[in-house]
Amino acid sequence: MAFKKVKSSDRHINQLARIVGGSSSILYRKEDLLAYDCDGFTIHKALPKAVVFPKNTIEVSEVVRYCHEHNLPFLARGAGTGLSGGAIPLNEEVIISMVRMKRLLSVDLENRRAVVEPGFVNLKLTNSISDRGYYYAPDPSSQYCCTIGGNVAENAGGAHCLKYGVTTNHILGLEVVMPNGEVIEIGKNGIPDEPGYDLLGLITGSEGTLGIVTKITVRILKNPEAKQTVLAYFNHVSDGSQAVSDIVSAGIVPAALEMMDKVAIEGVEAAAYPVGHPKDIEAVLLIEVDGISAGIDEQIRQILDVCRNRNVKEVKVARDEAERGRWWANRKTGFGAMGAISPDYLVQDGVIPRSKLPEVLSRINQISNESGLRIANIFHAGDGNLHPLVLFDARKPGETQKALEAGSACLKVCADVGGTITGEHGVGIEKKEEMRFVFSDEEIKAQTDIREVFNPKNLLNAGKLFPAPGRCAEVKKEIKAAASS
Amino acid sequence: MGINELDLKQDPACSEKGLSNYLWRDHPDENKWADCVHCGMCLESCPTYEQTGQEQHSPRGRVHLIKSVAEGKLEVNEFFSDPVFACLDCRACTTACPANVDVGGLIEEARGQIRQAMPLKGWQGAVSKFVLKGIFPHPNRLNAAGSLLKFYQKSGMQKAVRQTGLIKIMPDHLVQMEAVMPEVQEPVRKKYKNEQVLKAKGKSKAEVALLTGCVMDVMFSDINEATINVLRRNGNDVIIPQNQTCCGALHVHAGDRETGRMLAKQNIEAFRDADKVIVNAAGCGCMLKEYSELFREEPEMHDKAVEFSKKVEDISKYLHETGYEKPKGEIKTRITYHDACHLAHGQNVRQEPRDILQDIPGVEMVHMPNSDRCCGSAGIYNITNPEMADAVLESKMQNVPGDVEMISMGNPGCMLQMAMGVQKYGRNQKIVHTVQLLDWAYQKEDGKERV
Ligand SMILES: Cc1cc2nc3c(=O)[nH]c(=O)nc-3n(C[C@H](O)[C@H](O)[C@H](O)COP(=O)(O)OP(=O)(O)OC[C@H]3O[C@@H](n4cnc5c(N)ncnc54)[C@H](O)[C@@H]3O)c2cc1C
Ligand code: SF4
Ligand code: SF4
Repeated sequence: MAFKKVKSSDRHINQLARIVGGSSSILYRKEDLLAYDCDGFTIHKALPKAVVFPKNTIEVSEVVRYCHEHNLPFLARGAGTGLSGGAIPLNEEVIISMVRMKRLLSVDLENRRAVVEPGFVNLKLTNSISDRGYYYAPDPSSQYCCTIGGNVAENAGGAHCLKYGVTTNHILGLEVVMPNGEVIEIGKNGIPDEPGYDLLGLITGSEGTLGIVTKITVRILKNPEAKQTVLAYFNHVSDGSQAVSDIVSAGIVPAALEMMDKVAIEGVEAAAYPVGHPKDIEAVLLIEVDGISAGIDEQIRQILDVCRNRNVKEVKVARDEAERGRWWANRKTGFGAMGAISPDYLVQDGVIPRSKLPEVLSRINQISNESGLRIANIFHAGDGNLHPLVLFDARKPGETQKALEAGSACLKVCADVGGTITGEHGVGIEKKEEMRFVFSDEEIKAQTDIREVFNPKNLLNAGKLFPAPGRCAEVKKEIKAAASS
Repeated sequence: MGINELDLKQDPACSEKGLSNYLWRDHPDENKWADCVHCGMCLESCPTYEQTGQEQHSPRGRVHLIKSVAEGKLEVNEFFSDPVFACLDCRACTTACPANVDVGGLIEEARGQIRQAMPLKGWQGAVSKFVLKGIFPHPNRLNAAGSLLKFYQKSGMQKAVRQTGLIKIMPDHLVQMEAVMPEVQEPVRKKYKNEQVLKAKGKSKAEVALLTGCVMDVMFSDINEATINVLRRNGNDVIIPQNQTCCGALHVHAGDRETGRMLAKQNIEAFRDADKVIVNAAGCGCMLKEYSELFREEPEMHDKAVEFSKKVEDISKYLHETGYEKPKGEIKTRITYHDACHLAHGQNVRQEPRDILQDIPGVEMVHMPNSDRCCGSAGIYNITNPEMADAVLESKMQNVPGDVEMISMGNPGCMLQMAMGVQKYGRNQKIVHTVQLLDWAYQKEDGKERV
């Protein structure tokens, strides 16, 4: 596209436009910015100052340097599927959209790794290497659209992370633009576990508050030789969760072990990918085992036995790849499916000890009754990561507030039974107050101190991840910084 | 001037309704956006998002903007119009969306508001008025336009235009289109004007009515002919109601819902006595099935439209469901299939045409990756948004396997666009309609050579 100069009354806009290559790479009119006022977390909305679309690391670095020098708040955005508000511009940020940096840079089968730009969509990696027998393991349900850069920022997990680990276990190297515009590389040559502090681990999951990731070296895996998938229906949640515990205690490590409750089933069956789950059951389990062919059948037999011992109502093994695909599409579109039975939803992300599931679900049920809002539960049962989905209608006065309170109450329950408040969606804006359920003031301070080393001006994605106490001090510092610049 | 300033609102500013910046009847339907949970699962399905990476050009963004106008956060102005009219109306997002949000429906409703708030001016307005209102709804004028085209092709003028360099002063995309324009034949509606019923060959099992389409019948009457042959061969009496008209899809896509309603009424009336309405153009079929959307505020017409839409069926689906004779004539060819958006995403017809092709002896099917990705034709989109249409076409052509001889599909708009792609990217595939190939196989069986 031809370079077209931007002439705005705001000189920052003109300068930023110049860096990224003209009018087709920047948005700054209110009408265009509206589409960026929130991400997958819709309760909080705010307009950015501008959205820029850099094509390469140099442009990202120049934009960041410009913002740093002129004290303009900024943040990175991938596909905007985040569920905790990480990409929402609370402080009128300049949004740096990473989606045009979407190339697969190299695939090195011999050393089982690939290098991608941050805007590369998760599922596309597997799609690009599957014909050669490889795949990328972390598979968040949003993998059709979310970016690997966003996955790194949120340390995303997915159904198959039970056996294979979350994003952080698959990152071998990163190129990062620091909040002052400097470009650094961590994990050179894709060799993991370098001597010294584990910076890869620190950046991964930092929710876009320590730097902007511009290149990622990931681990890729060989496709398992065989795969089998089982669907099991239970009349009682307690039976279903007992079955989960029994499977794990039997020494089986399934690739995935997922559960949905009655309301969730109602949602997925009303939506675009129904598979005919019965409506009168209380829990469905989706179990997948994979590995070398020998032994898979034996594992399946064991799983079927466990389910039968726990009064399973019906249990079946996927007949073929097509059926397996339908079961997974039904599960993986579970959040969006709530749109079919409710105008809005709020998804929570607690982690609990597996054994506490029946207790937690019954307390969530109580929260639902008290608030008058329906709550569906989708559960990565194998690793205890629970997603209560609070269904509400934002158009009804007061309901949004009620939903937020109900969501927070669910997290409190998770923390009370010895769990924690986020498994994979991050803290963002949404759960920063709930951080207090699990961390003391000192512990939180220790973490904001780390951020300060990387992000001293706190221009990058400020106001996320940590609750307000540091806030007082932070604001003072911001004022000081602004005054001295 | 923004319409806010016109101060046309009657409701007090504090009421929900009063906030809305939609000022005409037939508002975008609140229930449609209420289904959207902003999850973003539709992003990657959208060709315009793929090209721009900008969220106002994504389904989620468009729904968000349409909702924002109703909430009074946005006015109906050119910056709203831009993303709404850049949508290809390809409905890929409808397939991708877990919550079944009817993005296409919302887009069309929003376009209706935009066109009333800011009517097209200047040459665009004149052309649109002349073509959409002056020609398409009037079969005779369309035939006349067709005759002109025929004259242009037959008389050697086409050759002259192509040789003299006159072609150089036409805009690029028109030149490309001119190059692949099919030869005009006699419209079937005219040809069979005096035939009450075209009787089935052999025993008749059903009577069906054929939508001949407007552009279809002028530019692709051979496909209509093939459709009639195939229907008759498989035990169907075919009638061609003479008072039928253009389906209105182009008008509705362009935001002219008033003309759309007028045409819809005429067609519902024209096909009143038919049990089945067979369509061989995906875009038309989709429109016919969605007539009720145009009458949300007229309950009586709405009910009629719902009844009418139940009778509408795509030719491939109809054949598949009622059974068809497997042809014995062999057509030795390697072929790939392109899913027209308004068949795959619009009507969920995917497997039926493939099954039909596979039943033809000698046909070898080759898989096309992303076969249900829009080709950029999208009605008259390739005329109104040539740059985007080109980019979308390019990415489509990259997916067409190199070693096939034919590309088959079920929509004339796609056929023109794909033919343009073949020509532009130096490929050499022949573009065929699914029923055409079936018809050729039957003809071959009967000893008439065609290909
Ligand atoms: C339907 C649905 C299902 C989901 N299922 C799962 C699931 O199963 N598991 C799971 O873990 N998550 C899930 N999520 C949440 C979400 O998809 C993930 O958090 C994902 O990693 C976000 O990626 P994104 O590209 O959309 O990032 P965005 O939402 O755009 O951004 C998320 C955060 O990352 C930061 N960021 C983005 N790109 C960069 C970069 N290049 N450098 C630095 N920071 C950056 C942003 O500033 C922001 O703070 C789901 C979401 C939805 C809507
Ligand atoms: S249109 Fe559907 S897929 Fe797209 S954001 Fe809305 S609910 Fe999600
Ligand atoms: S109809 Fe097509 S172009 Fe329009 S928003 Fe949906 S996917 Fe995008």
